[in-house]
Amino acid sequence: MIYEKNRPLPEELNNLSDELFAPTGSETASDEAFKTEPVGFYRDALNRLRKSKVSVASFWIIVVIILLALIVPEITGYSYTQQSVKGKNLPPKIPYLEKLGVCDGTQVLTNRKKSSLDDPKRFPEGSVVEILKEYDVNGVAVVDVRVDAYAYAGVPEGEYHWFGTDYLGRDLLTRLFRGARISLLIAFISVVTNVIIGVIYGSIAGYYGGKIDMFLTHFAEVLDGLPYIVVTILFMILFGSGMFSIILALTVTGWIGTARLTRAQFYRFKGREYVLAARTLGVPDRKLIFRHILPNTVGPLITRAMIAIPGAIFSESFLAYIGLGIKPPEPSIGTLLSVGQDVLLQYPTQTLFPAVLISVLMIAFNLFSNGLRDAMDPTRRGEDV
Amino acid sequence: MAEHDNILEVRNLCQHFTTGRGRHRMTVKAVDDVSFDVRRAETFGLVGESGCGKTTTGRTIIRLYDPTSGTVHFGGREISGPMTAEKRRYLTDNIAMIFQDPIESLNPRMTIEEIVGEGLRMRGVKDKNELHRQVIEMLYKVGLTEEHATRYPHEFSGGQRQRVGIARAMIIRPQMIIADEPVSALDVSIQAQVINLLNDLKAEMGLTILFIAHNLSVVKYFSDRIGVMYYGKMMEVARSEDLYAKPLHPYTRALLSAIPEPNPITERHRKRIDYVPERDHDYSVEKPSMVEVEPDHFVYCSPSELREIRRQLG
Repeated sequence: MIYEKNRPLPEELNNLSDELFAPTGSETASDEAFKTEPVGFYRDALNRLRKSKVSVASFWIIVVIILLALIVPEITGYSYTQQSVKGKNLPPKIPYLEKLGVCDGTQVLTNRKKSSLDDPKRFPEGSVVEILKEYDVNGVAVVDVRVDAYAYAGVPEGEYHWFGTDYLGRDLLTRLFRGARISLLIAFISVVTNVIIGVIYGSIAGYYGGKIDMFLTHFAEVLDGLPYIVVTILFMILFGSGMFSIILALTVTGWIGTARLTRAQFYRFKGREYVLAARTLGVPDRKLIFRHILPNTVGPLITRAMIAIPGAIFSESFLAYIGLGIKPPEPSIGTLLSVGQDVLLQYPTQTLFPAVLISVLMIAFNLFSNGLRDAMDPTRRGEDV
Repeated sequence: MAEHDNILEVRNLCQHFTTGRGRHRMTVKAVDDVSFDVRRAETFGLVGESGCGKTTTGRTIIRLYDPTSGTVHFGGREISGPMTAEKRRYLTDNIAMIFQDPIESLNPRMTIEEIVGEGLRMRGVKDKNELHRQVIEMLYKVGLTEEHATRYPHEFSGGQRQRVGIARAMIIRPQMIIADEPVSALDVSIQAQVINLLNDLKAEMGLTILFIAHNLSVVKYFSDRIGVMYYGKMMEVARSEDLYAKPLHPYTRALLSAIPEPNPITERHRKRIDYVPERDHDYSVEKPSMVEVEPDHFVYCSPSELREIRRQLG
């Protein structure tokens, strides 16, 4: 038993000398300096982001796609509007790779009269690569033949279209990356606009609260209730089809999510003691919002913006796909997909390349924003991933 | 009361919070008709159990909340009532606050230099070198070094953070500090460090301190006068030694009886006194009020209780 009711104090405790109660050292001594480097929030987040292989990989994929979108349309040697009557719907043909039998610019023609193979007007010299199958239809000799589509169409020797051409003979490589450029541009502009509007709106609603908050929140809810296809069509009617209408359509309701997030973050942080402390020092509202509260909400905001970018790209493609896209001949990934699917069975590569690009882009953005969210998660601060 | 040099005069201060609407409307009287004075260069302790309105009183004085009614005068000027930019300026220049939670009260995204220097920046110190010099000087005063200025709060221990909080409050050279339980979140060895620091700074700068705490031993050590609060009301105000020597209000007695004693033999025989308002008071006939029963000793009591107290005191 540790505690005994009537046990007297031990003898040594009754005769403690006063010297034992003297202070051990100087009270004014300063604390030790830290040995390590100071690590700020962004440094810490960056460190953890770097450690995640998936995030780093997706980051570089995004960078590469952006660089390609900037460079490729300038160096292919074709303009995105340059048409060619001869070279319509050409299959992909890539130097060096053609020797391996892929993307060699050949295509299979079925049900051709065997006799026409010798007609140089229909099959120019060197256009027939191999005869796949010979058969007989109603007494006429018919063949399935693999032809060099470039020679068959009469395109000059040495002309290459890496991703082929579309129904107007425009180079698809140029158009695809020009389209990616447009899609990314629309996505970035609309997301940045959304974030700016959403942050300001949400900050005001969250910081001031009460009646102001109620009014702003209900207004946003009403706006959110508008069906966005209808809004988009209205903008198309008002401003004509084009980038402006699409960005406007993506912005008109897109900021509401950011505003809600910001508002919630403000409710979370505005009652914190460090905000109160700043108030007691006479810091004005504007500075409280932008210096003390907003920096703490930056993590979720950046993450949300990054997630919104593939969403915006996809929305744009969707609008283009259903015919509400930007004005031709300007391409976007969505318009390319839309055109490509008309000839999906005959020329599948016209759909394949844009589809692959948009998929890679969306996956990369999603993985990167996931990594960013983890890196900025305050509960994981200082932790090794 | 007039003969004293009062720096802060709180009169009939009320702070009511309402929630809900219509039938569900509820009013919480966090601070209800509280009056007291704080004299220049003294430490006034405000004690009471959790939720009795100590913190709310402090926050209402510095206008983190707008008071429901009542007046507060600081240095002869009213600082309650409608706020003007000039009044806020006067208030924030002269009163600073130290907060309870050393983790919560420092912005995790700012360096120590930014945190401590903010008050100066707000007061128009633009020159970077001058700002840096003053911040460093203040850091040394609270026992930190120049090297700590570039650090972020999460790298510090609780006691260090609390000292940063003190530096932040002190750097604007206020006349009064409202210290809202500055040591309750710290462990005992660090409590002494922070209290001694406050004492030194007080002596050096001639500060007045409104010290809010629930640790009675700390308040006894630190305060010149003490106010006891219970359910939003002030029960007793007296000089520190008077309050501990002859507590007059039953709640004060109950509170003092709860202090553990370091001597195990007397601790064994210590009796807790319960305070049950319905049993201890009968306010159905007579209304209680704040009465000065002895010089500098105020008790919240009804006339019959006052007679009883007077009889006891002889």
